[in-house]
Amino acid sequence: MLFNSYTFLFGFLPVVLIVFLALKLRSVRLALTWLILSSIVFYAWWRPWNLLIIGPSLGVNFLIGRALLAVHGDKSRATLARWLLGAGILFNVCLLGYFKYANFTRSVLNDVAGTEFVLHSIVLPLGISFITFQKIAFLIDVHGGRIKDFSFRDFCLFVLFFPQLIAGPIVHYREMMPQFHALPRRMDREALAVGLTLLALGLFKKVIFADGVAGHISPLYAGAAAGAEITLIWAWIAALGFTLQIYFDFSAYSDMAAGLARCIGPKLPMNFFSPLKATNIIDFWARWHITLTRFLTAYIYNPVTLWLTRRRAKSGKTLLNHRQPALIPFMKILAFPTLLTMYISGLWHGAAYLFVAWGLLHGLYLVVNHAWRLFAPRYLPKLTRSSGFHKSFGFLLTFVAVVVAMVLFKGPTPQAAGEVLRGLAGLNGLSLPGSVTDKLSSFGGLDIATDTSSARDLILAAAWVFGLSIIALLMPNSLQLLARYQPVLEDIETVGRADGLMGRFFRWQPSFIWSLVIACLVVMAIVNIGGPSEFLYWQF
Amino acid sequence: MNEERLLKLFSDILQRLLGDDSIRLHPDTVRADIDGWDSFNYVNFIVAIEQELCVRFQVADVESFKTVGDIADETLRLLED
Repeated sequence: MLFNSYTFLFGFLPVVLIVFLALKLRSVRLALTWLILSSIVFYAWWRPWNLLIIGPSLGVNFLIGRALLAVHGDKSRATLARWLLGAGILFNVCLLGYFKYANFTRSVLNDVAGTEFVLHSIVLPLGISFITFQKIAFLIDVHGGRIKDFSFRDFCLFVLFFPQLIAGPIVHYREMMPQFHALPRRMDREALAVGLTLLALGLFKKVIFADGVAGHISPLYAGAAAGAEITLIWAWIAALGFTLQIYFDFSAYSDMAAGLARCIGPKLPMNFFSPLKATNIIDFWARWHITLTRFLTAYIYNPVTLWLTRRRAKSGKTLLNHRQPALIPFMKILAFPTLLTMYISGLWHGAAYLFVAWGLLHGLYLVVNHAWRLFAPRYLPKLTRSSGFHKSFGFLLTFVAVVVAMVLFKGPTPQAAGEVLRGLAGLNGLSLPGSVTDKLSSFGGLDIATDTSSARDLILAAAWVFGLSIIALLMPNSLQLLARYQPVLEDIETVGRADGLMGRFFRWQPSFIWSLVIACLVVMAIVNIGGPSEFLYWQF
Repeated sequence: MNEERLLKLFSDILQRLLGDDSIRLHPDTVRADIDGWDSFNYVNFIVAIEQELCVRFQVADVESFKTVGDIADETLRLLED
C-alpha cells in the first residue's frame, strides 16, 4: 500500500489512527496490538504471500534473540552466545542473499564463466533489505547486552511498525521501544498536529515535486536506453533532474514516515537532512539516508577499521594522524574499509552492476575527501585554509560529484548510463530544438545541431530543474521548519536550525495561517495524485 | 583516574590525531562539535585510548557512544574491571 495512494490516505490511515487513538484512551497495550495487526494488513496488501517469508523470519529471529538473552552475562557460555549471534546473522544474510542476489550471482557467473545457467524468477519481498538490517542490529544489541528484555509482541511491533516497515529509517530497538512503552493514554494533540504537517509536506513533495520532475526526465533515460544520443544540455537536465527527483522522493518518504510515526506517538531518527547543501562528500553521507550510513558505519566500517587499526597499534606502529600522514597506512586502514563499506552499500541498494559502480564511485569520492583532509594541510597548506571561497568550491564540487554518480544510480541499463555520462562530458556534442537554433542562427556565427524536441520541452524541463534546485538549496527543510516541536529523535536546534531570513519566515506553528498553507498543499497534492507512483526507495 | 583527568587525556589524544592544539573536550562534546572528527578519526581515537589505558571497548559499543562523557563513563567502567 503506497503512502501516496487514496487507499492509504482515505482508507487505511484514518481507520488505523482513529481506532488506535480510541483504544489508547482505554489501554496502551491494546492499542499497540491493534498497531501490529494494522501493520500486518499494510504489509500484506500488495502481496499477501510475503507474510510467508517475513512471518517465519520473525519467529526465528525472536527465538535466537531469546536464546541470546538467556546466555547473556554467563561467561562460561560466551562462545555459545557468539555462535548464536553468528547463526542469526547468517540466517538473515542468507535470506536476503537468496531473494535479492541469487539471480545477480547467476548472471555474474554466466558473464564471467560464459555459462548459461538459468534460475527461476525470484520476486523480492517488500522491504526485505531494511527489515534484514534492522533484525541484524537487534541481535547484535541483544548479544551486547544493550537490550535487557523483550516480548514477542514488542519484537513484532519493532519489526512491523508500518510507518518505517518498507523503506526505513533503519531503527534500533533500544531507541523505539522505550517510546512505545512510555506512550500516554491521553491524546497528544501537538504530536498529532506535527505528524500530520510532516505527512502533508511529504505528500506534497512526492506528488508535486518528485513525480512532477520525473515526467520531464524519464523520456530522456528511456531514449538513452533505446540507443538515442543524449547531447550536452539534455544530459545535464537528465542528470540534475534525476538527482532532484530522488532527492525529493526520498525526502518526501522520510517526512511521511516520520510524520506517520509522530501521529501515533514515537519519534523516528532523522533520515534525511538537506544533503545537497553538503560542502564535502563526508558531510553528504551524514545527511543522505542517515540511518543506513549509521548502520553501515556501526556494523561494517567500524569493525573492519577497528580490527586493522588495533593490529597496527599492536605491532608498535603509530596511528595514522594529521601530523605524520603516510600513504601505505592510509590505503590499508582508511581507503580499504571505506571502499568495502561503499561497495556493500551499492550492492545493498540493488543487485546490479550499476549500483555496485555507484557505491564504489562514492567510496572513491570519500577516499579522496579523507586524503585531502589528511595530506593537504601538510603539503598544500595555502589551499586548506577555511574560507567562504573554499566552502563554496567544496559545495560545488560535491554537488557535481553527486549528480554525476546519480546517473549510475538511475541507469536503467549500463548503456543508457554510459550514454548520459558521454553527454555530460560533451562527447555527444550540443543540440537544441529547431525553433531555438533558428533564433540563435539569426545572431550569426553559431553552429548548433538541431534535435527533434520542442522549445517548450526544453524550457519546461530546465524550469523544473532550476526551480527545484532553488528549493533544495535555499529553503529550510521540513525538520527545520518544525524544529521548535522536535519532530524526530535528534535535537534539530543543535543539528542545524534554519537561520537567517528564510529560517525566520519559515517556522511552522499551530496557527490559522499555517493550517491554511498546509491545507492548500494537501489539496494540491491530492488532486494531482495520478496512477501508482512508488517511492524510489521502496524497490530496495 | 577520574573523569577530569580522562577528559584531559582525551583532549591530548584528539589534538595529536587531528593536529589541532585548540581542541578541548567536555563531557557533553559530540563529534559534530569538532571540525574533522569523522568516523575514521573516531575509530583512531578509540584505539588510541585503548593503547594509552590498556582497555578494550566492545566493537558494538563504539557507535553507541553519543557524547565524550559516554566514552569517559565506559572507560572508567573498563578501568574498574
